[in-house]
Amino acid sequence: MTNPRPYALLAEITYRCPLHCPYCSNPIAVACADAVESAVPSGDTAEPNALRTAHTTAELSTDEWKRVIREAADLGILQIGFSGGEPLARRDLPDLIRAAREANLYSNLITSGIGLDDDRLCALRDAGLDSIQLSFQSDNTNLADEIAGTRAHQHKLDVAAKIRAANIPLSLNFVIHRRNIDRLPQMIELAESLHAERVELANVQFYGWAFLNRAALLPTREQVVRAREIATAAKARLAGKIDIFYVLPDYYENRPKPCLSGWGQRYLTVNPIGEVLPCPTASSAIPDLRFENVRARDLDWIWRESESFNRFRGTEWMPEPCQSCPQREIDFGGCRCQAALLTGNAANTDPVCELSPNRASVDAVLHELDSLGYHAPAWTYRTNPKGSPVASPHVAASR
Amino acid sequence: MQTPAIASSAQPRLTRGVRLQTDSKTGNSVLLFPEGVLELNETAQEILNRCDGRTVNEIIQALAEEYDVDPKMLAVDVEETLADLKRRKLIELT
Ligand code: SF4
Ligand code: SF4
Repeated sequence: MTNPRPYALLAEITYRCPLHCPYCSNPIAVACADAVESAVPSGDTAEPNALRTAHTTAELSTDEWKRVIREAADLGILQIGFSGGEPLARRDLPDLIRAAREANLYSNLITSGIGLDDDRLCALRDAGLDSIQLSFQSDNTNLADEIAGTRAHQHKLDVAAKIRAANIPLSLNFVIHRRNIDRLPQMIELAESLHAERVELANVQFYGWAFLNRAALLPTREQVVRAREIATAAKARLAGKIDIFYVLPDYYENRPKPCLSGWGQRYLTVNPIGEVLPCPTASSAIPDLRFENVRARDLDWIWRESESFNRFRGTEWMPEPCQSCPQREIDFGGCRCQAALLTGNAANTDPVCELSPNRASVDAVLHELDSLGYHAPAWTYRTNPKGSPVASPHVAASR
Repeated sequence: MQTPAIASSAQPRLTRGVRLQTDSKTGNSVLLFPEGVLELNETAQEILNRCDGRTVNEIIQALAEEYDVDPKMLAVDVEETLADLKRRKLIELT
């Protein structure tokens, strides 16, 4: 097999986040010590065993990230997304962006905006930041703050205006679910009024916290049908002005969404503790996959040789019905994480596919939801990794 | 979608947030923008290298001279390429 060449790196630089969105795709159980960017991990009198844990679960240091960025550029990577958690929780973000600029990478910041004031925005822009994706929970302040589990909406509006003034390309990202899907028109209006270049309306995908909160988050079929019409109409109306990306809720589809551009083909993710993942959610969804760490191996080796990147590369690993399906090079058999979460085996056909022998597992969820009617259960808010106090001076918790 | 008409007096330039650079792996030019990467063919590459304040007409003349071809024949190619880049919002015409 000729080795593909990666194009984009998702750098999840921290799991710390001041928001508590119940659909966060971060792993639920993360034990991640504080960054070593500024200080050694606390608990310095701990037993050897605990110390080892603190070491291996500590966030990558500034220098380690800089090395990863250089290795990524050498591999051919052209784009880097800084994400998290909330990437602004790391004070060394401008240094990392500068390292990306020096390595000729195009940098995106994927942020909630919390912690972004004029000074930091200037620092990021001067470091060479190319573009910002700002997440919103809703257009409506009360609902947005309820979803985020903290008062953040007004601050986000201010941040959007600042980004505009700083002349940095702006994309608004909305995660769509049962509680906000009926406000699609208002959310699109918000993007218009904030003069965003691009808006992403992505129905929640069920990994991490969202999987836990499935019953509370999955929209009803009627909601989904209406939302699709609204998104299609808005796309046509705003063509040439705002690019609208609408991501379907795949449980209601008959065929799965494609697994990126194929497993291990164009993308790689490095998580806060240095694990290299073919897919951002794989570490929590596919328990039997072992991930290499940039602390032990260089990125080039991991990309080419590691078990995790090769396990689902190409089409040889595919079972039937995918193996003989004409779609197999188009959707790549669907999502490995979804197969793992719903069928217990990551190598199975994505159960969303109507040809999958496991489609019943998806229908059972939809059926259970139908029986709830419009009375969705309460959700569980995302909590932060243990031992990682989150500094969020701008936000007062509303709960 | 309709192909936007390209006026010969317009000055094409890269949209805010779009970067033109050389891909060190292939030696070819690429456009980088928030959602991705566009690998440029030779025509697009030659045109974009000249989007430095010159008008469409001036770009056509410059290319015609350099490659010793009839500007009228070149015009179609240039306009099509610019229209395509405009539709993808990678360039603006002022
Ligand atoms: S396995 Fe699923 S979540 Fe992971 S990259 Fe593929 S489609 Fe996305
Ligand atoms: S059988 Fe496999 S390849 Fe075919 S459509 Fe379903 S998931 Fe895709």
